[in-house]
Amino acid sequence: MSFLSPLFLAALAGLAIPVLIHLIQREKKRVVVFPSLMFLQRIPYQSIRRRHIHNWLLLCVRLAVLLLIVLAFARPFLERSERVAASSGSREVVVLLDRSYSMGYQDRWAAAQAAAREAIEGLDSSDRASVVLFGTAADVAVRSSGDRGRLLAAVDAARPTASATRYAPAMKVASTILAESGLPRLEAVLISDFQRAGWQGSEALQLPAAATITPVPVGGLPGGAANAAVTGVSLDRSTFSSQERVTLTAVVASFSPEPMTVPVALDVEGRTIQTETVTLPPGERVSVSFAPVTLTGRNTRATISLAPDGLDHDNRLHVAISPLELLRVLVLDRGGRGDASLYLRRALDIGERPRFEATVRPPDAVPEDLLSRAAVVVVNDVEVDAGLAGRLQRFVEQGGGLFVAAGARTSWPGSSGGWLPASLAGPVDRRNAASRLAGVEYGHRLFEVFRGPRSGDFSVARFFGYRAATAAADARVLARFDAGSPALVERSVGRGRVLLWTSSLDLEWNDLPLKPVFLPFVHGAVTHLAAYAVPSAWLTVGQVLDPAAAAPALAAETATVLSPSGVRVPVEDGEVFELAEQGFYEIRDARGGGDVVLVAGNVDTAESDLTPLDPQDIAAAATADPSSARAFAQSAPISPEAQEGSQRFWWYLLCLAVLLLGADTLLSNRLSRAHNG
Amino acid sequence: MDAPRTPFAGARFVDPVVLARIGNLELVARSVVDGFINGLHRAPYFGASVDFAEHRGYVPGDDIRRIDWRVFARTDRFYVKEYEADSNSNFSVLLDMSASMNFGSRGITKFEYARILAGCLTHLVHRQRDRVGLVAFDTGIVEHVPPSAKHMEVVLHVLDRLKPTKAGSLREPLRRLAEHFGRRGVVVIISDLYDDPDVVAEAIAPLRFRGNDVIVFHVLDPAEVEFTFADASSFEDAESGVQIPVVPDALRAEYRSLVQAHIDALTRRFSETRVDYMFLDTSKPIDFALFGYLTTRARMLRTRQ
Repeated sequence: MSFLSPLFLAALAGLAIPVLIHLIQREKKRVVVFPSLMFLQRIPYQSIRRRHIHNWLLLCVRLAVLLLIVLAFARPFLERSERVAASSGSREVVVLLDRSYSMGYQDRWAAAQAAAREAIEGLDSSDRASVVLFGTAADVAVRSSGDRGRLLAAVDAARPTASATRYAPAMKVASTILAESGLPRLEAVLISDFQRAGWQGSEALQLPAAATITPVPVGGLPGGAANAAVTGVSLDRSTFSSQERVTLTAVVASFSPEPMTVPVALDVEGRTIQTETVTLPPGERVSVSFAPVTLTGRNTRATISLAPDGLDHDNRLHVAISPLELLRVLVLDRGGRGDASLYLRRALDIGERPRFEATVRPPDAVPEDLLSRAAVVVVNDVEVDAGLAGRLQRFVEQGGGLFVAAGARTSWPGSSGGWLPASLAGPVDRRNAASRLAGVEYGHRLFEVFRGPRSGDFSVARFFGYRAATAAADARVLARFDAGSPALVERSVGRGRVLLWTSSLDLEWNDLPLKPVFLPFVHGAVTHLAAYAVPSAWLTVGQVLDPAAAAPALAAETATVLSPSGVRVPVEDGEVFELAEQGFYEIRDARGGGDVVLVAGNVDTAESDLTPLDPQDIAAAATADPSSARAFAQSAPISPEAQEGSQRFWWYLLCLAVLLLGADTLLSNRLSRAHNG
Repeated sequence: MDAPRTPFAGARFVDPVVLARIGNLELVARSVVDGFINGLHRAPYFGASVDFAEHRGYVPGDDIRRIDWRVFARTDRFYVKEYEADSNSNFSVLLDMSASMNFGSRGITKFEYARILAGCLTHLVHRQRDRVGLVAFDTGIVEHVPPSAKHMEVVLHVLDRLKPTKAGSLREPLRRLAEHFGRRGVVVIISDLYDDPDVVAEAIAPLRFRGNDVIVFHVLDPAEVEFTFADASSFEDAESGVQIPVVPDALRAEYRSLVQAHIDALTRRFSETRVDYMFLDTSKPIDFALFGYLTTRARMLRTRQ
């Protein structure tokens, strides 16, 4: 006989309550005023306390009721013979070893390896074990093996990485291994420093029902962990004497209970440029700004570093800085009469991030190199002949962006216009009753900046004329005129995109260029067509790097990534690469030539906060009921019916307690009547 | 000696409970004492009369009204009659009115019993032309009626309106009274003497040293002596308010022996200091106490002669 909830047995102390009630309360209800207690007080106190219990039967009944209730709550169950036999069966043990970079703090890694070895050396000959190393992701080093030598070698070979702690992937792997095992006893041993940042309570950590988990915390008490980290840096770009300068502002965070004074150094291309000393209040963040750095070329390596402390990885933050790229826009304008591209050019001149470079050419004089260097081509109300249409189609299919502003003169050769977003019809004259834009798709990236309230109103623009159009089946209408005709239609062609604007970009057919929404509209359309994204100065370890996106200039189908530790990894076109190290990654053309693109990898500074959580929280989340899980750990899985049957005693005990309570009531009433009578 | 007839001629045998129901203390005292004195005609202790003592030869300066002319007629010499009554003494009742006296288990509290006893004694003594006085005390002196032949009514009146409410002690009030009693007399102390016997004896001794005749009536309720309580209860001290849980059955024997030892100790200590001590419980008729008083007085007179 055992108990599922033996802690409830502590309530047996409550058995003293009826005894005390019988001994004390009965006397307290009457007070006799006596002239003097002089003699009574001389009689030893023990002899006064030794009292008669008047109703032994009543007392016994009440004690029995309490005893039964406590036993019922303690959930007694019988261990059957087959389960007794199973409890001595073989074990399937999964050793989960945390190798996040916080395990490099002081002697945590050595303690963790020692704990893992201890778990492995405690295996019997019939047991099997797996070694799972986890950080942000989990890797199975050895899967379900009885070879103790292999297991120990895997533990010895493991090293802390630059990744952060995430328990969920590790528990998922452990759950899979345990679920596949045929052995009767399933155990997981979680060896970690149990950082709070590693588990958001919503992540599922559930192990199989019959499994048990043993958390093994390593590392000292959290209160004493002193650590500072560079958690971020912002780049403030400016232009001075036609050269771009960048001001770096680093954010330094303290995770220490004591104030710290640390030097913060800025290294550029391996040379220390500037060192600032900051005082960090406990648990707070401080910004440190450095003097502007003039960028001399692409791929400038900058590193913000702190003095070494117990946790070294987060003392450095690498940044790869390159001058901002120009977004080249080729505008095809008819020229001659008026200046149809005046407003467009003015709008593109204002752009800062990105900066635009607009080149205006007539449609019949478009050099091939100009077209190939342009990111976006704007066809501004011109007649397009078949040759130009073909070149534009190829341009778009190779990833370029095309903006077609369809005015009164716009024509497209009928045979080669099938890839446009819409087929154009004749002009619609609305000079008598100006049309307005309606049905704007604010959910689209192009109109994203207008999504918020009071962020721009397109309905103020009046349209006196536009081209009727019929959108292609796979095109998306982003805006319509109030009469329902498409105003802006988008279509993807090959790797590029085409936008068709069915009105002019000057004042000929509308007054949109005079409205405040014109400038963000043009910028949004061009950056969307160019698939422009603000380049990130660094990535976090564990993030995925797409060489094609990071280095679009590389023409080669196969790129090579050179990791900070010097390992070359070829990446095929379309493949991605996961950052695993801290430092600068170089993306090169596999053939050795061409440009080099630098990507900085940094650790996740959520890991810098060494505050631990209670390991029992993880255990509780992994096993729905920790007490029952521990009980099951002693036994093989059994059928739910048998399990229910063996634990049903509490039910009978509770029924008996209720019956006794009834008897107690009857007895008390009888005694009370007898007493009063 | 004929005593005046009263409606309560047999009052001295009446249960004190019944006497306590009679509000008029003077009536009670007179009834009890007069009946008591009537009964004493047959008593062997009547020699304690206060009337005639002796003849002595006339000396110049004596009041000629006191010359016994009959003796002069027979002997032709002047003799003067002397009376015991001439040596009127002070008689003071010291009445304990501490809260513990306000206890009674059979219809009469110790204080009521003590009040009747004080009234009766005062009345008895007043009939002998002694000066009567009264002191009521708890921790201090609450009421003080100086001894005087005219204070009988005052004493009874004061007795009538006393109410015991506060805690009491013997030592301090008796020490102050001992300084006060300049003239020798008879001092009767009525108390439940809830104190250590040595403390009680020490408190009373100063009175004795002044030459007073001290008689102590130790009044207790039968329940205090026999401890006849049945149910286990919390017992609360009437003066301090302290409560302790008590199971009477378990400690009755021990309690009784402690009370008896207390009485024995008091008896022994008082006999050592030549103080007359008499234990009374409130179930005893008043005349039992009066009888004890007179016996004591007779012994005093014999001793003096």
